[in-house]
Amino acid sequence: MRTDKLVIGFGKTVAVVVILAWSLFPIAFIVMSSFKPGQDIFAVPPKFVFSPTFQHYVELWNGWGVFFDGLLNSTIITAGATVLAITTSTAAGYVYSRYSSRMLDASVMFLIIVRLIPPIVVTLPLFPIINAVGLNDTHIVLMVLYATFFVSLGTVLMRTFIDQIPRELDEAAQIDRAGRLTILRRVIVPLAAPGILAVAVFVVVFAWNEFLFAFIFTATRAKTAPLVISEMIGSIDGVDWGVLFAASTVQLIPVLLFVIFMNRYLVAGLTAGATKG
Amino acid sequence: MRLNKITEAVPFLAPVQILILSVIVIPSLYVVWLSLHASSFGQSATFVGLDNYIRVLTDPAFMLALGNTVLIVIFAVHLELALGLGMALLFASGLPCRRILLVAVLAPYAVSEVIAVAMWRFLFDPDVGPVTAVLTSLGLPMLDWSFEPSHALIMIGLLTIWLHLPFTFIILYAARLAIPKDLYEAARIDGATPFDAFRRVTMPLLGPAIVVALLFRYIFAFRIFSEVWLMTQGGPARSTEVVAVYLYQEAFSFNAFGTAAATAWIMVLASLLLATGYVFLLRKQVAGNAH
Repeated sequence: MRTDKLVIGFGKTVAVVVILAWSLFPIAFIVMSSFKPGQDIFAVPPKFVFSPTFQHYVELWNGWGVFFDGLLNSTIITAGATVLAITTSTAAGYVYSRYSSRMLDASVMFLIIVRLIPPIVVTLPLFPIINAVGLNDTHIVLMVLYATFFVSLGTVLMRTFIDQIPRELDEAAQIDRAGRLTILRRVIVPLAAPGILAVAVFVVVFAWNEFLFAFIFTATRAKTAPLVISEMIGSIDGVDWGVLFAASTVQLIPVLLFVIFMNRYLVAGLTAGATKG
Repeated sequence: MRLNKITEAVPFLAPVQILILSVIVIPSLYVVWLSLHASSFGQSATFVGLDNYIRVLTDPAFMLALGNTVLIVIFAVHLELALGLGMALLFASGLPCRRILLVAVLAPYAVSEVIAVAMWRFLFDPDVGPVTAVLTSLGLPMLDWSFEPSHALIMIGLLTIWLHLPFTFIILYAARLAIPKDLYEAARIDGATPFDAFRRVTMPLLGPAIVVALLFRYIFAFRIFSEVWLMTQGGPARSTEVVAVYLYQEAFSFNAFGTAAATAWIMVLASLLLATGYVFLLRKQVAGNAH
C-alpha cells in the first residue's frame, strides 16, 4: 500500500514536470536567449549559465525603430478594439439578459452561427472596399475588425454574467426614476465587472497577437508588432536570432503578465463561452 | 422587470448588430455572389454559375491543401484532446500548488502565432536547434521541416497543439470539477475500481464537454492560416498549403477572386456541417442520458 502511494506520487511528479517543461520551456528559452551574448545562443547543448547582456536589446533599439512603432500601433489598436468590444457587448448583453422575445432568441442563435465564419472569408470583399475608401493601413480598420470578431462571444458572455445580477436591483433603480442607460452604467456595469474583464482578456490577447488581418490590411503606418516580428523571421539575409528573441520578449512579456494576473477571468470566460455558446 | 418597448432595446442592440452585419454577414453574402462570378481586379464580373466551385474542387493544389488541413485537424485535435483530458484528470486527482500549475499551463494562451513560430523554428532548426540536438543525440531522426513536407506538417501540428492545449484543458478540467464527489463515493462503496469509476462515472459525464471542446477545435483548426504561412508559406512547391493558405494565394497572389470566394464558401459550409453534426450528436447524447 505504501509503495503504491510512492509509485503514484512519483508518476504524478514526473507528469507535472513534463507538463511544466512543455508549457514553459519554449517561453523561458526565448526570454533567456534574448539575454545571451552572441555565440552562446547557438551553443549545443544550450547554455543555462551565461553572463547576461542587453546587447540584442540595444541592437533592436538602434536598428529596428519600426518595431517600436509597431508596439505603439499594437497598443492603440488593442485599446481601441477592447473599448469598442466591451461597450457594445455589454449594452447588447444587458438587453439579451433582461428582455426575452422570439426575435431576440433567434438573434442569439444568429450570433452563435456568425462565429462559424472564418475571418479569412471576409478579407476577400473587405480588401477592395477598404482600399477604395482609403482606410487601408489605418488603426481604425483593425480596431473594428478585432472588436467585431469578438462581439458575438462577448455579447453571449455578458448576457450570462448579467443574468446573475438580481433584477430587483434594476427595479429599485427604476423606481428612483433612473433611465435605462443610467441603470446600465450605475447598477449593471459595476456588478458585471468580472464578465467585462473576461471579455477584455479575450479581446486584448487576440488584438495584441493577431497576424492575418494585420498582414492583409496594413502596410507601413498601422503595422503591428507581430507583423514586424514576422518580417524579422522572414528576412532574406538570414535571421538575426538575438534581435528576434529580444523583440519577441518585448512583445510577449506584457501580454503574458496580463494573462497571469487575469487568469481567473480567463478561465471563467473560457468555460462560460464554451458551455453557453 | 421588463423593457416595455422593443424600441427601447434597439439602441443597446444596434452597435453589435451593425458591426456584425457590416463586417461579417454582408461581406460573407457578397462572397457568395463573388463565388458565382469570374472576376479579378479592374474587370467586370461575368456570371459563371458553379464553375468556380468545380474549378476549385478539381484543382489538385486544392485537394492537396484540403488533405493537409484534414491531416492537421485529425492529428492535432485528437492528440490535443487526449493530452488535455489526461491533464484535467491529473489536476483533479489533487496536486499541490494547483493554482500556480494552472497558470503555468495557461501561459501558451498568451503567445502569438508569430512568436510561437519563431520559437519552433529555432528549437527545431536543423543546424543549431536544441530539440534537433536532443533528437540526434538519442539517435532519432530530426525534423527536416524546410525540405520534407510531412515533417513540416508534423511541426505545424505540434505548434497548434502547443498553442491551443490551454483551451482544451480548461474546458475539460472545468467539466471534471463539476462532477459531484458523491458519485465517486457511491461508486467506491459499490466496489468499483478506479478504472470502473473512470469508465462509468467520469467519461459519461465528461461527454458533453468533450464534444464541445472537439467541436470548437475542429472548427478553429480547420481555418489554420498563420502557423502555416509563417512556418513554410505553403512551400516547398505548394506542398504544405492548407485551405486558408490556398484561399489567400488564389485571392492575393493570383488575383483569382472567383475561385478564392468559392474556396471561402467551401470553408464556411464545412464549418457549418461540422457544427450541425456535433450539435445533433450532442442532443442525442443528452436525450440518451435522460433515459
